[in-house]
Amino acid sequence: MKLRRFIIIFALLVLVTAVLYPGQAQNSAGRISDVQLIARAINGEARGEPYEGQVAVGAVILNRVKDSRFPNSIAGVIYQPGAFTAVSDGQINVPIDPNSTVVKAAQDALNGWDPTYGCLYYWNPATATSKWIWSRQIVTKIGKHYFGK
Amino acid sequence: MDYDEKEYIMLNRGRHNSEHGVVTEKPGYHARNKAKNVVIAILALTTLFGAWQYHRAVLLRRQLDAQYNRAFYEMAGYVQDIEVLLTKAMLTSSPQKAADILKEIWHRAELVSTNLGQLPVQQGALVNTQKFISQVGDYAKTLNGQNVKGQVMSKEQMDTIKNLHQFAVSLNESLDKFQGELSAGTMKWENLAGEGAKLFSKTDVQVPQSISNIDGTFENMPTLIYDGPFSEHMTNQKALGLSGENISEDQAIEKLGNLFGKENIRNIQKVSDNKNGVIDTYNFRFELKGKKEASVAEADVSVVGGKVVWFLYNRDVGDVELDIDKAKEIGKQFLDKSGFKSMKDTYYTEQQGIATINYAYVQDGVTVYPDLVKVKVALDNGEIVGFESKGYLMSHRERDIPKPAITEAEALQRVARKENILSSGLAIIPTNYGKELFCYEFKGKVDDQDFLVYINAITGEEEDILLIINSEEGILTM
Repeated sequence: MKLRRFIIIFALLVLVTAVLYPGQAQNSAGRISDVQLIARAINGEARGEPYEGQVAVGAVILNRVKDSRFPNSIAGVIYQPGAFTAVSDGQINVPIDPNSTVVKAAQDALNGWDPTYGCLYYWNPATATSKWIWSRQIVTKIGKHYFGK
Repeated sequence: MDYDEKEYIMLNRGRHNSEHGVVTEKPGYHARNKAKNVVIAILALTTLFGAWQYHRAVLLRRQLDAQYNRAFYEMAGYVQDIEVLLTKAMLTSSPQKAADILKEIWHRAELVSTNLGQLPVQQGALVNTQKFISQVGDYAKTLNGQNVKGQVMSKEQMDTIKNLHQFAVSLNESLDKFQGELSAGTMKWENLAGEGAKLFSKTDVQVPQSISNIDGTFENMPTLIYDGPFSEHMTNQKALGLSGENISEDQAIEKLGNLFGKENIRNIQKVSDNKNGVIDTYNFRFELKGKKEASVAEADVSVVGGKVVWFLYNRDVGDVELDIDKAKEIGKQFLDKSGFKSMKDTYYTEQQGIATINYAYVQDGVTVYPDLVKVKVALDNGEIVGFESKGYLMSHRERDIPKPAITEAEALQRVARKENILSSGLAIIPTNYGKELFCYEFKGKVDDQDFLVYINAITGEEEDILLIINSEEGILTM
């Protein structure tokens, strides 16, 4: 009886730790294309945002790739340490259905739609207090995000 | 036999005690004792588990630090190489040797850039350093192209290299200092912000002095203008295709009404006034009563001239009913209606039942690729679900197209696979440094691979080669 309870408690303990460590999230098979990578970033960063706001996040990634101040590949930009919350909280590893909206948004961004007109940063005014980010020139506000240069 | 006896005694003990009413142990003693043991066991296991996790964390931290160190030391090494190579570039007299050295610089700069992008520093902390390195590489690449053609560097270009060299020297010095702190242990990667998305954190983290020292080197960096994508002239481009009066918000709404039909637009609201971008616009959200159910659409109208810069209408697309030719026709009609005359479809993609078709402007039979417009056509019912004209609005104007200095036959002589050329024409193509090139465009096919070759119609130089990728997802160039 006691042993059983002990086993249950221990199992719960292990379960809690497993939940607290979602790091080893499932990985979809095959090479992740640029579209998938951008779509995953959009999914992690702007899931609840208007469609335009999702395209805008994709556009910011691509604007960085083209800018001299950032790494010059899509993966380099997305995985730059500290650049995107989707990477630090593991959302980037969540596989995306190929028919989902974020994939369409990623495709539109890759096809040249840029609602931000060349922005390199975005932030949520409700939570961002970094002085540096507020010193950026604001170009537009879409949904919850400010987009700036 | 032994075993059986023992078991017998144990089995009988309980009965024996109760029979005689002699209780030698307090009731529940066994249970409590067991519970205590269980608690101790759990505590021990938790501690062990914690210790194991801590051990793992230390190992991971060490691995991560090793990655950061590798990136940093590699980067510092390549910066030293660049400093040396820039000195050599100032000492060479032959364009061939100069080209070699410049190619090396360009290559090293790419490696610096890759490693720099892996360091865990706060957003924006090393942007000037990154920009300097990108520009050094880009500038070296441009000069390399010039030297390969046998042109020696000008006095001005030599001065620029001298200047860049001085900055490379200062960068080396500050990297040395940082390296000292790193190896002394006074600077740890985990203390540098950036690890774990500090952008949305509640408190502002100060950029460490040693990092701001590195980036501070480039505060007085002069602007570099040359034929490359990272040249300063690329950052302040003007929209050549926009002219006219500033329009009001109501006039902008009217423009959208003209495009979609006033009766189809509902609940329109201005979301934002976009400023500081390359084009100032009004941003709108509205419901579009299309052929399918009403859905939310978003669009931007330029303040100057009142042009629709882009719109997006995201909806699910049903079964594909239309072929690409029909879609191209629908897109063309839409462009005619929107005031884009003389447009020719070039490439397209087909994804999730939507065709995204590129149209380029044609002036006097010359395809003007920089003046680019994209139209998204839903292949279930032919509805226009997206439009983008920034390329067109940035570059469109009536150009003075010169007469080609060489004939088409002469240009063809410069193509490698003359016998495989199927068609030809004249085109203006964009470059990544903002200039346009007037070229002969030759289209050919080798081993099932379609390709395009561009020969400059003035100088006869081979300017570009593009492969045409014909896949399930459409026709694209690479």
